[in-house]
Amino acid sequence: MAAEARSLGFHGIAKAFGDVPALRPLSLDIAAGEFVTLLGPSGSGKTTLLNIAAGFVVPDSGTLSIGEAEVTSLPPRKRDIGMVFQSYALFPHMTVFDNIGYGLRVRGVANADIKRRVDAALAMVQLEGYGRRRIQQLSGGQQQRVALARAMVIEPAVLLMDEPLGALDRQLRKQVQLEIRRLHREFGRTTLYVTHDQEEALVMSDRIGIMRNGRIEQIGAPHDLYRRPANVFVAAFLGESNILRGTVVDSAAGSARLAATGLDTEITGPCAPGVVPGSEAAAIFRPEAVTFAGPGQPGLPARVAEVVYLGELLAVRLKLRSGQDVWRRCFPGADDPTEGRDVHLSWRTEDVRIVPLDDQPNEGGLTC
Amino acid sequence: MRLGPATLANVAGSVVLAFLVLPILAVVPASFNHASFIRLPPDTWSLRWYQAFLNDPEWLRALIASTRVALLAMVISVLFGTLAALGLERVPARARRALLAIVISPLIVPVIMTSIALYYVMRPLGLHGTILGLALGHTLLAVPFVVVNVGISLRGVDPYCVRAAEGLGASPWRVFRTVTLPLIVPGLAGGAAFAFVTSFDEVVISIFLAGVQAKTLPVKLWETIRVEFTPVTAVASTILLAITLVLFVMVKTAMRGVSAQERARGG
Repeated sequence: MAAEARSLGFHGIAKAFGDVPALRPLSLDIAAGEFVTLLGPSGSGKTTLLNIAAGFVVPDSGTLSIGEAEVTSLPPRKRDIGMVFQSYALFPHMTVFDNIGYGLRVRGVANADIKRRVDAALAMVQLEGYGRRRIQQLSGGQQQRVALARAMVIEPAVLLMDEPLGALDRQLRKQVQLEIRRLHREFGRTTLYVTHDQEEALVMSDRIGIMRNGRIEQIGAPHDLYRRPANVFVAAFLGESNILRGTVVDSAAGSARLAATGLDTEITGPCAPGVVPGSEAAAIFRPEAVTFAGPGQPGLPARVAEVVYLGELLAVRLKLRSGQDVWRRCFPGADDPTEGRDVHLSWRTEDVRIVPLDDQPNEGGLTC
Repeated sequence: MRLGPATLANVAGSVVLAFLVLPILAVVPASFNHASFIRLPPDTWSLRWYQAFLNDPEWLRALIASTRVALLAMVISVLFGTLAALGLERVPARARRALLAIVISPLIVPVIMTSIALYYVMRPLGLHGTILGLALGHTLLAVPFVVVNVGISLRGVDPYCVRAAEGLGASPWRVFRTVTLPLIVPGLAGGAAFAFVTSFDEVVISIFLAGVQAKTLPVKLWETIRVEFTPVTAVASTILLAITLVLFVMVKTAMRGVSAQERARGG
C-alpha cells in the first residue's frame, strides 16, 4: 500500500498579484520525507508558495517539481497532494467516514479497502468509532484531526498544511502539534507547513524557512536558525533577541568586533556573512544567554528596571546607560534581582552573533 | 391599555397587513358559497362550486395546462438559472453586477412589452399557443428567482471545501456533483418553488401566448370573469392560492433547514 513520499522542488518561482510582488524568484528543495515549515508574518508570501505547490495559484515564472515529475501546469487533482486548511474545510454534508474516504473513492478504491483504510486513519488520529458522526457534532480539535486523516489516508506524495492549528485554542494547539509531529515521524510524509507561530515551527520542523516580503530570508534546522540567525529580522522573528546596534571595528575568520552605539563598549562574537569592517551591524544575543557578572568582573553596567514572573521563568528588563533595554531570562532562584539594583551584564562570546542590519530593521519583536 | 407610539405602530401595521391580505383571503369563503352569486359572508355553505369546477372539463384542462407549463418552466429555469449563477460566481465583480442586471431585467421591463415581443417571436416559430411556448415565456420571469436563490446558496459554500475536494483528486464535474450541488440544494429548492409559483399564476404573458390547446388557469379565470361573475372563479382562485401557499411553506421549511445546518456548522 504505502505510496511513496516524494521530494518537492521550487525552482526560480515568482508571482505577482497585479503590481504587488508576492514572491520574488526563489528556489527551495524539500527532500522526500522532510518536514519543512515556512514561517513569516502575514503577507510574506508563505501561503502563496504553498498554493503554488498545491496548484491553486499558477506562478508567473519558474518550475515546480514533485519527485521526478515537473508539475508546474498540472491542476491540483493530478498532483497527488494532501491538503489541510486552517478552516478544516470538511464537507459539512458528509459523515466523518465519507469525508476521510472521499479521496479514496475518487481514486476508485474498492469499498472494502476504503473501509479498512478509513478505519486505520481514524485510529491514527485517535478517533476510533467516530466514523458515523456528522461533522457538526465534532469539536474544533476533532475536526482538524479528521481533516488530517482525510489528507493522509490517500498517502499523498506531498502533504501541504496551511496554518492548520490557527483556529484552535492554545491548549489544543499544543496537543495537535505533537500529534502532527508523531504522524510525521511515523509515516514520513513530505510536508510543507505554513504558519506564523514560531513555536509550532520549532516543535515540528526538520527545517524552517523564514519568509519576508516574498523572499526566504534564511532556511535551516531550528537550532541552526536560533543559534545562527542571518540577520536582525530572523533573530527577532524566531525566538526573542537582544539587539544592540553598532559599527563593525574588525572582522576575521568568522568572528567580528562591534563598537556598540551609545555604549562605551565593544562586543565580540561569531559573525554572519556580509559583516565587514566599517559597516553597520548588530550584536544579537538571546535573553537566556545573559548573566550577571560577579563582583569585580568586567561587564556591561545596567540597572534592573523590571522583574516579570512567567511561572517557570523569570524575565528581567535591564536598562543600559544608553537607555536601551536588554532582557534576561533565567530560572527563579535565591539571587533573584530586585528592581532598581545596579548590575553588570555578561555573556559568553559564542552566544553572541554579529549580523548585518537588514534593509528593514525590525526590532519591535522583543517582548517578555 | 395605554396608547403609546408602539401601540399605534402596531395598529397601523396591522391595518396595512389586513389591507394587503384580506382581499386575497376573501375568495376562500366566497368559494364555499351555495348561492349562484358571490356574496360575503356566504348565506349557506356548500361545496357546490367545487363540484362544478371539477365537472367542467375546461377548468380541469386549464388546471392541468397550468401545472404542465409551471413544471416545464420550473425545470428550464432551474437548469439555466443554476448555470447562470455558477457562471456569475466566476466572473469579476464588476462584470457580475452588469450581467446580473441583465438576468434580472425581465422583472423590471414592463411585462406587457415582454409579452408583445414574445408574441412576435413565437408566432413564426409556431410556439404560440403551445405548452412549451408558454413555459419559455414564463422562464423569462422565473429565471431571476433561481439565479438569486442559487447565488445566495453558492456564496455560502466554503471555497476551501471545493479546494479540498480538488486537492483530493476530484475532477471539476465530480467536485460539483459531490460537494457544490449537495450544498446548494436549499437554494435550488427555493428557486424552483419560486419559479413554479411565478409561472403558475402568470397572466399577462399567458394571455398573449395562450391558445386553445394551452390555456392556463389564470387565463381561463380572466376569460370567464369577463363573461360572467360565477363563484367557480372563486374556487379557481382558492386553488391557485392554496398551491402557492403550500409551496411557500415548503420553501420556508427548506430554508429553515439550511439556517439550522449553518448554525450547527458555526457552533
